[in-house]
Amino acid sequence: MKTLIVEIVDPARLGELYTVSKFFGETPDLVALGKGEVPGGFGKVYQTEEILGANIIEPLADLIKSEGYEAIIFSSSTEGNSIASPLASLLSIPILPEVIGIEEGPVIKKPLYGGKAIATYKIETTPFIITVRRNCFEKEELKGKSETVPLETKDKKLELLAEREEKVEGIPLEEAQVVVTGGRGLGSADGFKMLKELADLLNGAVGASRGAVDEGWAPPQIQVGQTGKIVAPNVYFAIGVSGASQHLAGITNAKCVVGINIDEEANIFKRAKFGIVEDYKKVVPALIEVLKEEKV
Amino acid sequence: MNIVVCAKVVPDYEVPASDFELVNGRAHERFTRVIGLYDENAIEVGVQLKEKHNGNLTIVSYGREDDIPVLRKAIAMGGDKMILVIGQSDDPYVIAENLKMAIEKVGDVDIVLAGRQSADMDRGVVPGILAAMLGYTFVPQVTKIESLNGEWKVTQVTEKGVREIKGKGKALFSITDDPSNVPRIPPVRRILAAKKMPVEKLEEVKPTSMAVEELSVEIPKMEIKCEFLPTEDLKETARMLLKKLKEERYL
Repeated sequence: MKTLIVEIVDPARLGELYTVSKFFGETPDLVALGKGEVPGGFGKVYQTEEILGANIIEPLADLIKSEGYEAIIFSSSTEGNSIASPLASLLSIPILPEVIGIEEGPVIKKPLYGGKAIATYKIETTPFIITVRRNCFEKEELKGKSETVPLETKDKKLELLAEREEKVEGIPLEEAQVVVTGGRGLGSADGFKMLKELADLLNGAVGASRGAVDEGWAPPQIQVGQTGKIVAPNVYFAIGVSGASQHLAGITNAKCVVGINIDEEANIFKRAKFGIVEDYKKVVPALIEVLKEEKV
Repeated sequence: MNIVVCAKVVPDYEVPASDFELVNGRAHERFTRVIGLYDENAIEVGVQLKEKHNGNLTIVSYGREDDIPVLRKAIAMGGDKMILVIGQSDDPYVIAENLKMAIEKVGDVDIVLAGRQSADMDRGVVPGILAAMLGYTFVPQVTKIESLNGEWKVTQVTEKGVREIKGKGKALFSITDDPSNVPRIPPVRRILAAKKMPVEKLEEVKPTSMAVEELSVEIPKMEIKCEFLPTEDLKETARMLLKKLKEERYL
């Protein structure tokens, strides 16, 4: 099946989509969005500095039609979400987003109801578009670099005025082997300072639930959950997190969840391997103290 | 300024996984129906725009007639008018085509808003499909909108930070949560007035669905049993937890 990946120049995201493309057979072509050196392993590689979806949709539609691509793959990301669905509509082709599993057919799996159910679909025609949920497929190690040809964009509908990266110190959430996440149960933004100290001692990253982000205690960029970051650490500390299904959907691939919550009925304990029913303000300092002692 | 917010009524998303139940691949009817998680953020953004620009805000929905009482919350929050297209398809093209029909009935709409994704099908594709059908510029994951003389500036949340994006003309923005768009609680007088507001009901159109067959919907098995650690001596609890995590090679 003639396959096209559309993704920003990011080795981790490209590696995951490359793995997905193998289900469709042929070496995939790539439309690389943004500046930077594109890793190797692809067939034909097009590149544009443009990253704003609405400015890319029409040239992409033209490319797909002229080259006869059958499977078009995006990640479930800002760029994927900006382009995939209007592109599908423009081409009148099926789109299945948030893919978490693929089998021959192609048969794909995606979550429903905030991850409380999993649906299986068979795509009955080509071309089609899928968007792939982050951290659900192994990353292919892409070696070397690709030669690129420019993808021309005209008629800009959007203008990028500013882009500000939220500074998150340390290891990126998606790659961290230990994640320490705080929820509304922390009670204030101050609680996150304590979580940061714990995360640093464990060489991990700090996350937040939607509730904590809505309270303004943590930036949206560290939100873990269905519409935030999808993480897959070895250990996930959920501290003051109730465990709404939309949050749990972001930690499906966490190997071990530790729940720390004052409410023993909290839903997080249904996902946790280890649970501590106590005020986090007492538990987290104890963990910090023991970790410091062990490091001496 | 004419503003439309698309809102969907869904089974209560707060229902924990342990209580969740399916009938014929869809959530059991016994669950309370509510307006979608992000749709309420979209309504709040719509209300803020309306208040700032003295605009008109129409709530448009595709769904069941018996969901009208639930949708009235959107009116109480600040909607001026409501159109419901009656239908129950889950196909994103069918939903978008019906929303388009309702939006065109509103007239000359400047800005359409929708939640970034519904809380039942978890797709987030209807807003983009609808934008393309309407010929509107689409920007997803927006938290704030400033509009002036046909131009607009939006804040988009990305994986790494935020973008400020400028555009002009008719546009559809899908809205994500942010402290600035947490829905305000409507005053009682508006809740009461919303109950009397007439709702325009439309029959659905039935365009072709996309060529995808739903094979199954299942509840994933969760076979984790939580081991609760003793809490009499929390330093001892911490030591015990770290020891277990190391022994089982998680750390």
